[in-house]
Order: sequence, then C-alpha cells, then structure tokens
Amino acid sequence: MNLKILQQSLASPRVLVPERAWREQGCAGGRMPALVASALTPELAARAAAACPTAALALDANQLALDYALCIGCGRCAEAAPALIAPAAQPTFCGVARAHMVQRWRLDGTPAAAPEPPPPPSDAIHKLFGRALNIRQVDAGSCNGCEAEIAALANPYYDLERFGIHFVASPKHADLLLVTGPVTRNMAGALRATYEATPAPKLVVAVGACGCSAGLFAASPAVVGPVDAVIPVDTYIPGCPPTPGMLLAGLLSTLARR
Amino acid sequence: MNPVVQLVRDGARLVSVFGSRGPDRAVRLHYLLDNRQPDYLSFEFPVVGPVPALTPILPAAAWHERELHETYGVPLLGHPDLRPLVDHAQSPLLEVSGEGVCEVAVGPVHAGIIEPGHFRFSVMGDAVLRLELQHFYTHKGTEALMEGRTPADALLLAESVSGDNCFSHAVAFSQAVEAAGRLEAPARAQALRLVGLELERLMAHAADFGALCGDVGFPLPATFTARLKESLLQASRAALGTRCWRGLCRIGGMARDLDAAGAHTLLQAVQAAAAELASLAEAVFDTPSVMQRFQTTGVLPPADARALGVVGPAARASGLALDVRRDHPSGAYRTLDFKVETLEDGDVLARARLRILEAAASARMIAAALDALPSSAVCLPAPAPLAGDGLAAVESPRGELLYWLRLEQGFVRRCHIRSPSFQNWPALPRALPGNIIADFPLINKSFNLSYSGCDR
Repeated sequence: MNLKILQQSLASPRVLVPERAWREQGCAGGRMPALVASALTPELAARAAAACPTAALALDANQLALDYALCIGCGRCAEAAPALIAPAAQPTFCGVARAHMVQRWRLDGTPAAAPEPPPPPSDAIHKLFGRALNIRQVDAGSCNGCEAEIAALANPYYDLERFGIHFVASPKHADLLLVTGPVTRNMAGALRATYEATPAPKLVVAVGACGCSAGLFAASPAVVGPVDAVIPVDTYIPGCPPTPGMLLAGLLSTLARR
Repeated sequence: MNPVVQLVRDGARLVSVFGSRGPDRAVRLHYLLDNRQPDYLSFEFPVVGPVPALTPILPAAAWHERELHETYGVPLLGHPDLRPLVDHAQSPLLEVSGEGVCEVAVGPVHAGIIEPGHFRFSVMGDAVLRLELQHFYTHKGTEALMEGRTPADALLLAESVSGDNCFSHAVAFSQAVEAAGRLEAPARAQALRLVGLELERLMAHAADFGALCGDVGFPLPATFTARLKESLLQASRAALGTRCWRGLCRIGGMARDLDAAGAHTLLQAVQAAAAELASLAEAVFDTPSVMQRFQTTGVLPPADARALGVVGPAARASGLALDVRRDHPSGAYRTLDFKVETLEDGDVLARARLRILEAAASARMIAAALDALPSSAVCLPAPAPLAGDGLAAVESPRGELLYWLRLEQGFVRRCHIRSPSFQNWPALPRALPGNIIADFPLINKSFNLSYSGCDR
C-alpha cells in the first residue's frame, strides 16, 4: 500500500449525502417533467402533447395522460408549454407498478379517475430483503447511460451499501435483478436464462425509459420490447437515465422501505 | 473502387466502409478515408456485380465489410471471414483444438455493472492462445431507426448510441447535420461544445484510471476517482440542470446557455478534480505492485494498431499520433494550438499514463474556454428543411467518432455511425495472446471500449 494514497484519501473531503438529503434531491438533474395542474388548459395540453416525441404525454378525448415509462426527459413539452410543465422534484413514480407510472388529468386540471392507491407494502418482501438485498444488474441492450448512473450508487457520495444493498457477480447470489433495456433480440435469451438462474423468491426492477417501455427503440425490429415483454417485472424506475436519487427511491420503494 | 485501393496502398487511413440505398433501392457503396488532410475523403459507387474486398490488403476493413455483407448483401470477393456480426445463429465461433487447449466462455452477462458481450478464450493453462469476440448483443437497429426522421428527432437516438459519452455523439451528429446544411453554430455554442466534450473526456479518463487500479486489486484509487467523477456530474447539474449533458446540444448550437455563476461552478469543480487526479496518479505510478501489473501487459504493437485502423487513446498509447482535435478540427478546436500526446509502449501502463496526460490537457482546455467564452447567441434559429450530405467527426473519449448522413427534404435518408469502439474492438484480441487469462479484465478495461457504441 502506498502510504501517500492512503493519506490523500483520508484527507479528502467527506461527501456522503445523508439519506434524507438524497431522497429530497430526488429527481434533480434527471430532466423529468411534472405537470402543473392548476395551469392546465386544453390549448396548453395540446401544445405539450404535440411536442412529445415518445407519446409520454398523450391527449385523448378530454384527458391528458403523462406516462413516465415513456418519458426520455427531452424537455420539449416544457419548451412548448412552459407554464404547464415544471421539473419533477419528488421521484414518486419510481419503484411502482406499471399502472402507477401514468398520471391523468381532465382538462380543467382535476385528476381524472383518481389512480388506484398503490398496494400496501408487502411485509413478506420487507422481512426477506428489507435489511439485506443482493442485486444482479443485467444490461439487456441499453446504451450504457443507465449503467453509468447505477455504478454511481456505489461512489462515496451515495454509498448504497449503507442500506444493506449490494451488487453481486452472479444471478445465483441475487435477490433482485436490476434490468436495463430495451431488450434486444440478441439478449432476450440471456435475460430469460439469467432470470431462471436467480433463486426464488426474487424481484425484478426494470430501469430507464428503455427498460420500462423500450423508449425510442420500441419500433425497431432488432428490439423485442421492454423488460416485461420477456420476464415478469415487479416495479419500474423510469428516466433517461434515472438519477442516483431516482434509483434509490425506486429500490427502497420496491423493498417497502419508507 | 480503384482510387480507394490505390490510396489505401499509398498509406491513407481507412475510416469507414458502409452501404446506402439509392432512390431505386439499388445498393451504393461508401468509403471514407483520411489522407492526412483536414477534410476526409468520401467515395461513393454503385454496386455492379461482385466487389473486391479491401480486407485482404487492409485488416482495418474486416468488420466494416462483414457488416456491409450482412446488412446490404453486397457480394465481396476475397474476404476471409464473412460471418454475420449481428445474426449469431449464422455465425459459429471458430474453435482452436489440440492437446491441452481449453475453451473459456465469458458472457454475454458479465459479473460487473457493464454491458453485454461474449468472449471466447482458447487457453493453454493460464496463457491465452486466442480470443474471439462475439458482440452485437446490444444491436438496436439505431441507424435504420433514424431513417425517415427529422434531424431533431434522430438527434435523440444519437444521444442513446453510447450513453456514457452521449454529448460526443450529440455534437458529432449535430455537426454532420450542420455540415449538410452549410450552417455554423454561433461562437459561444462552439466554445460550450468544447467544454462539454473535454469534460466528458476528463470524467471518462479519471474513472477509467481508477477502474484500472481496481482491476489490480487496489480499490482505493477507484473509489477516489468515482468521487471525482461524481463531483463533475453534480457541478454539471448545478450549472446546466443535467448531470450527463443530455439534451444540451441541438442542431445549430446549444439548447441553453451557461451563465457566469454556472461557469464558475464548473471551473472550480474541474480544477479541483484535475489537481486531485494528478496527485493521485503520481502516487499510483510510484506504487510497485501496480506498476508490476501494468507494465508489459496487453501490448498492442504499433504495426497492428496501424493495420487495424485503431483510433483514440489506444492508438496514441501505441505511438500513432492521431487525434481529430488536431487532424480534423471543427468548431472551437480550429483556433486551438493542440499538441497530440503519444506514448510508445502500447501496454496497459501506456494507456493509463496517456489518460492522465489527456485528462490534464482537457482540464486546461476547459479552463481556457470558460475564461474566454465569446458573447453571442447559443443557437441559430431553426433552419428550413435541409437537404444534402454531411459528415462530421469529434474526438470522443474513446477516439474518432464520425457521423455521415444524407438528408432529403428535411428528413434523414441514411445515417452511418462510425464509433471508435467499432473500429477498435478487433484490436483487443491482438493485445491478448501470451498474456494470462486473469489479466484479461485489466487489458479490456485499459481499452475501455463501448459495446452499445459498437453494436448500435
């Protein structure tokens, strides 16, 4: 061991982000939109939906829907209708079931068909994995943007291990598969085999716009689809890429740790 | 065809070979060469009958011609290996047989948080005899998806070709569109693009250097550089609202400006990170257990690097003075007095040292650019529908990244992406024979190639 490096490391600034601040930072830097319901008018809704390249914002009949699974954070909706779209702050749409990633409003700004409440936290999952969770990350075709942010979870700012969560080298050691997509034709078989090699009980979390919905690549013949087109998925973490704050919120929510 | 063969024989560097379809759906062949002039040479021929392959005289063409054959069905005469790249079912791996030879299969799912690919090693004891790559697991048909889209929509796809250097891809794509439309981004946007490109390099080189230490059982520097990289991501978030510079580059300039406070935040973060990285590197290179593992490991001989058309840090660490920033400068690089760093040994140590030299240079370039940001708008008004061919290259952290595209009536007709990783992957097996298999992760990391950038 080179003593100088040890000394330098000991002298380096303490950067650990406290859990609360990390959760409050949430979406910062992730470019996810939030809808300002009080500003909703038919005209702004039409403008924002027309600007969306992935149909994450969709206008039908008398409702505007925002599907976070499809959103790549390009910001075009905010440019087209700045009064209607603000940066998202809290990652409430991370680590939830697919249906809970969609928010709907009537065009007068009232929530449409109030989304059914999320299922109560599962005691069984919490008991099994709540304090010690092994994750195997699987890249099933991503651009590596999500992987870079997932890897950041281990850096000295975030130190994911403090939650008893760590990454393991084999699916056979894993409780949870953290899967990025879109799932390509060449990776579908390997993803299925990895899922089968993971001992039950197991959880699967789909990560990123591509993992959640196949994103920009949905129409490609080289792509099978989102992760849930190939293996069963428990929860979803959207984003392009999701920030470490969104990833943490999503993982803790999946474990029913609040 | 003949002028291409002659130029290659006379020493021109092959940059890319690809196909396109004319209005009559007939296949056309494209060759891009670097003949040591600022402008790349571009050739286009109709396919009439079988085409003599370039690969027998220039191995650098091998994967390009395999892709051309698979995608466009062009008959290529004399190519030694026309197995498809993407269709694995039609592409059996070659086997090495003999007494004592074992095969070790690794991937596509790897042990770390990394991209998928398959490595097939033929080993005799610990020593690697041969490595065969089976890639294109992350092939997403990106080039085909771009066809028929507006440049602004195709730019979103370009940002998702290789996510850890999304800004390089966004700038290269945007500059290719600007070249097709004879547009020039405002001076301030050009300077901000330089800042983003060099920041991406600084982050990549710092993280790679730490990861190399991690791969020889020395995790402290890896943690150290992960902290430096995060500090730069957070400074970007504070200054520009995005950690990874996604969505910032657009056709005609930049999507948003950097204010004085933001520039100050970035500058301070860059200078602090560069100073810490330099002093860390000095101590690492003074650590015998690291040097013993880095030195003479994974040597890529200069002759192989040249024959395979290797680009980027891997080329420069094997003595090849190639750098888009000097050889084919665009934007703010045109007025820069830029020195290309090279090292001769071609081993893991040379690739590590080169990254440290380049990271320091990037920090200096960022500081100089932020200090003298021109005052102008940051984006041209949206252009009328564009038409024509455009070509642009940037020096991404992994090397020469080039986009060629053809626009018709405001839509992308064809876009070809030549990523540095596509060009460099075939060189990795050349650096391996004679090394022990346990050194493979280290050697692979020292090239740090992108899978998705290669597979597209």
